[in-house]
This record gives sequence, structure tokens and C-alpha cells, in this order.
Amino acid sequence: MEQDYPKRSDSQPLLATWIKWTMDFWDSLIQMGPGPTGASPSGASPSGAALPEGAPSPPVLQAAIKMWEAFFSLLSEPQTVSALFQDIHAPSEIILKMAQTGWGAYFHLHRLWLETIRAPSREPKDLRLEGLDQEIFRSWMETYEKDFQRLLNVPQVGLTRLSQEGMNRLADKFYQFQSAMGEFVYTIHLPMKKSLKDMQDLLKTHALQGKVSGDFKDYYKIWIKYLEGDYMTLFQSADFTRAMNKALIAFGDFTLARQEMLADTLRGLPLPTNRDMDELYREVYLLKKQVRELTKMLIKTETSQ
Amino acid sequence: MPPPKIPVDLIMARLAQEAGEARHRLEKARDILMGPLETDIAATPYDVVYEEDRIKLKYYRPARGPQIKTPLLVVSALIHRETILDLQPGRSVVQNLLKEGLEVYLIDWGHPTRKDRWLTIDDHVNGYMDNVIDFIRRRHGLNQINLMGVCMGGNFSLMYGALHPEKIKNLITVVTPSNFDTDKGLLHLWMKEIDADRLVDAFGNLPGDLLNIGLLLLNPARLMFDKYVGFLENMDNQEFVENFIRMEKWIFDTPAVPGETFRQFIKDCYQRNLLIQSRMELGGARVDLQQITMPLLNVYARYDHLVPPEACDRLTQCVGSRDTEDLCLDTGHIGIYVSHKCQKELVPKIARWLKEREGSKEAPAEKPARKKAARKRKPASK
Repeated sequence: MEQDYPKRSDSQPLLATWIKWTMDFWDSLIQMGPGPTGASPSGASPSGAALPEGAPSPPVLQAAIKMWEAFFSLLSEPQTVSALFQDIHAPSEIILKMAQTGWGAYFHLHRLWLETIRAPSREPKDLRLEGLDQEIFRSWMETYEKDFQRLLNVPQVGLTRLSQEGMNRLADKFYQFQSAMGEFVYTIHLPMKKSLKDMQDLLKTHALQGKVSGDFKDYYKIWIKYLEGDYMTLFQSADFTRAMNKALIAFGDFTLARQEMLADTLRGLPLPTNRDMDELYREVYLLKKQVRELTKMLIKTETSQ
Repeated sequence: MPPPKIPVDLIMARLAQEAGEARHRLEKARDILMGPLETDIAATPYDVVYEEDRIKLKYYRPARGPQIKTPLLVVSALIHRETILDLQPGRSVVQNLLKEGLEVYLIDWGHPTRKDRWLTIDDHVNGYMDNVIDFIRRRHGLNQINLMGVCMGGNFSLMYGALHPEKIKNLITVVTPSNFDTDKGLLHLWMKEIDADRLVDAFGNLPGDLLNIGLLLLNPARLMFDKYVGFLENMDNQEFVENFIRMEKWIFDTPAVPGETFRQFIKDCYQRNLLIQSRMELGGARVDLQQITMPLLNVYARYDHLVPPEACDRLTQCVGSRDTEDLCLDTGHIGIYVSHKCQKELVPKIARWLKEREGSKEAPAEKPARKKAARKRKPASK
């Protein structure tokens, strides 16, 4: 098979070349083989001898092959290929931008974390329970809201747009829930860190003064008192109340979004959803209330007669 | 700098001694935990004499017959099971009341399910409680009964006493928050900021597990850590283990709270403090504390971390009754039900107080005529 292979300089000729090779391959295959019905498209047998009389020809197969040949010929036209490749870089650029954003955010958070560990002024004893270190969570939420959340809020199109939007809403609420819970768990953890550091300092002082007690229960009791006091200080702070409220709201929103998604997924099954049952329960509740009131009125009327 | 003086030899000797003790304790604990344990709660015999939806009314009869004609209805909170009042022999409020010759009725609010999410405070007070009280009155042929409310049950009892004073002879509130506008007590601080609407819309009923976590967070050092260290140290004591398990059974048997009840309780009580101001409304009727004209005994605990004294001590000044008494006990919120000391102090005081007023004249069966201005029913605010 003699082919005229064009020189490869960029992606456009490469695709055209590939299409041409594909067409030539199928052409040659058809010419070589008898096909599923034993007859070649040209009506000749592979050995070149004429087919016996009465041998059936595959008109449907021939028509299909002709159609594909015409389609691929169109694709290999330079104008068609250049139109195809005009925006081929766009998706890759979008993907690259997303990846860069993600990596950028990750490295920013990583840097903050390293600073937290390395900085000598960030000893646990300096951690004020009244003013919590919110920076890392704030940075994550800012990054998320700026870069990722907008992608999730893009309106969807098509037949399944409602389900897609439900999925995106669930993902959005999940990330917010994770962030809020992370912040809440972090705040709960602070008194533990502070009390342990205070105990370290106390032990060091006692050791220097030669007052180390042989009974560890004494130190345990002291540590529990420190811990209790630190938790009380934390729980009375506005920061903790805000973090707890935020976590509860995020949990509630995530629960709602998950229920909606689940109801949407199970819609095909003969199962009632929470919403269906709530509506039913409300009707039953109102009916029962009405019956009770009417019963009381009836008893009162009968009693007074 | 001189080297630290740490008696390493003493510490090592102590460790060796404690390791031996720990091993011995573990062996004994294994025998106790895998052997028969008496951990039943609410063991005092009772009859269920009335049921409505999830509500059950338990009736306890004193062994030697009633010494007070008027029975006592005890209403506990929705947020915990009523079994705390009959936790274990020797530390049972119910048993001690029976010993004092009182006939006791106790409401079991049960475990709400999803269908109960629409029940409001009005349904509990003017619905279930009213039906229960009418049942008891008919059963005993009385116009009035004695009513005792514990914690949130005390709030319901106050509301009922204000709306139906003609049916209540004497009213007792135990660790009942009536003034929610205080910064003492973490619950009061936290509930002011809670978005009750979003929680109820998301969950329907407030899950018992979520409420449990909130209650444990009130003092995690003691409730989640120190308590279990104490258990490990006393695992070889059978009585301790049994009492501990009984308490655990009660603590983690927290029912869900019906959504609409939770919504109104948080918004109207914790956030707007309407009850003590007599501005709360149930089913279109205003809860006017001045209508509480029957004798009132208000019991609260000095070291209560859930319902601090500041949330309780204004009540007797706001009711219409002239026969009121405050009793502050040196204990905490749970200790008032189960501590040995309080069992000797609280229940005899309640019995004595009720007996002193047993012979007082009953109010007529019909509601007394009230001034039009006070009786005027305002439509419920939206």
C-alpha cells in the first residue's frame, strides 16, 4: 500500500494524517477480505476471481462504508480540521487554570501550617482562648468561596439539570460542613493543648524545686482542674459560640441537601420521602386536634344540657 | 542551674505498687462485669392507667395507703426520661414520696418519632397535660390535684397553673428555669445564639444524640474524661459499677424533642424570655403568671450548671400567689434527684409542705371569674 505521508509540524496535520490512515486501513481491509457475507464490495473474490453467480452482495454494508468514507473525507479537509482545532486549547487551559488554583490554595495553606509550627511565638501557652486562631480556616473558606464554590453554583442545563444542581449543592454544603466542623473541633482541642502545656510547666517547676510528688494522682487532679477551667473559659467566649452555631447550621444545611439528593435518587422506587411523610403527619395532626376540640365542645354541650 | 530533684526511685516503686494493684483490680472487675449485675432502673412497681399517643401515665400507690387525699402528678422534662426520679433503690424520689404516704402519678413522655414533630408546647400543656389532669380528677372525684414539675416539666407546670388555676391545689417547681435572661450557665449563653428555625427545618425533631453531645460539652473534662477514670478506679466495687451503669443508662436514653416544641421553647423562653414577663402565648392564650394563685414551692440547686439559681429565684416574686416559698439546696442539677443527702432533705420537705396545705379550702370546680382585662385572649403573634 503506497501512502503519501505528510510531514508532521503541528496537531492539525497530525489529525488529518491519522484520519487518512484510518480510511486507507479500512479500505484495504475491505478490499482484502470477503466481508461477512463472503463477498467483497467490488464483487470480486479475494483471489481476484469473479464471484459465483447468485452470490449475495452486501448493499447495506457497502452503503455504511461509503457513508463513513465520506464523513472521514470531510474530517480530513484542512478547513474542517482547522475549525475543530480552533478551540482545542480552551478546555486544556481551563483545566490547567483549575489545577493551578488548587495547587496555589494548597501551598498557601501548607505555608500557613508550617509557620504555625515553626514560629516560636506560637507556643500553646500563648494561645489565647478568647481570641482563637481562625486564620487557617478563614483562608480555606476564602479560597473555597473565591475559586471552587462559583464552579459549583454554575447553572446546569439539560434534562438532568435538577439532579446535577442537587449534586453540586450537596458538594457545596459538604465542603462548608467540613470546614465548620474542622474549626469547631479545633476550638475544642485548644484547652487540651493549653492544659497539657501548663502541666509541663508545673512539673518543670516542681522538678527544679525538688517538690515532685510520687503520687501521679495529685498531678492528674491538678490537670483535670486546669482542663475544666480552660474549657469553661473557652465555652463562655463569643468565638466558641459563633463556631458552634456555624457548625450546627452547616450540619443542618448539609443534612437537608443530603436528604434532597437521596429523595431525588430514590424517586424511582415506591418509597415515600421525609417530605411526603411530614405533609401526611401534619394533616393527621391537624385532624386529630380538630377532633379533640370538637369532642371537648360536645362534652361541654352535653354537660350543660 | 541545679539539676532537678526528681525522686526516681520513689516513682518507680510507686509504679510497681500501682501496677500490682491495677492487675488485682482488673481481675476483680472482670468477675463483676461478667457476672450478674442489678442495673434495672425505674424498678418501683407502677400501673399504666392512661395512654394517649406516645404518652403514658404511671400510677404509684403507697404501700400503707395514702396519707394525703390529694394525689401528686409529677411532670418531668421532655429532654430526659422520667426514670431519673426512680433511678435506684435508696435514691428514688418516687419511692420516698410513697413512703411519705403520697399517691404519685408520673407522666412518661416516651420517645417522639417523626410524626410528633408538629406538636407544640400548647399540645403538651393544654392537650396531654390537661387530659391527664382531668383523668386524675375524675378518677379521684376531686376538683383539684397537686402538681410538681421538674426542669422543663416545671415550665409546663407553670404554664398549666397559669392557664388552669382552678384545677391545681398546690404547685411545686424543681430546678425550673423561669428567668432565661441571665449569663450564668452555659446553656443560657449558647441558646441565645442558636438558630432554632434552621435546626428544626433540617432535623424535624431535635435528635437525642445531638442533645446528648450538647449536654456533655457543658463540662467535657468531668463528663467525658474524669467520670470514666473514676469508673476504672472503682471497677472492682460491685455497688459502684451497678450505680454507674444505671446512671449511664439514663444519661444516654435521651429522647428527641418535638421540633415545634423545641422551636418555641428556644425562641420564646431562652431568646425572648417571655415566660417571666407573662408575655408567652399558648394556643392564643397569654400565660399570665399572676394567675398562679395557688401555693407555690420553688426548689432549686445552688451548684446547678444547667439551671443556675439566677434563673430560678425571681419566680416567686412574679406569681399572683401569696403563699410562696423558695428552697435552695446545696447540690447540682442531677444531685437534687439522686444524692443521698437531698433524698433526706427534699422529699420530706415536699411532703411536709403538701400536708400543711392538705386541709386548705378547695377552689370551686368552675374557673373563677377573672377581670376582663386579664382574661382577654390576645391572638397569637406571628
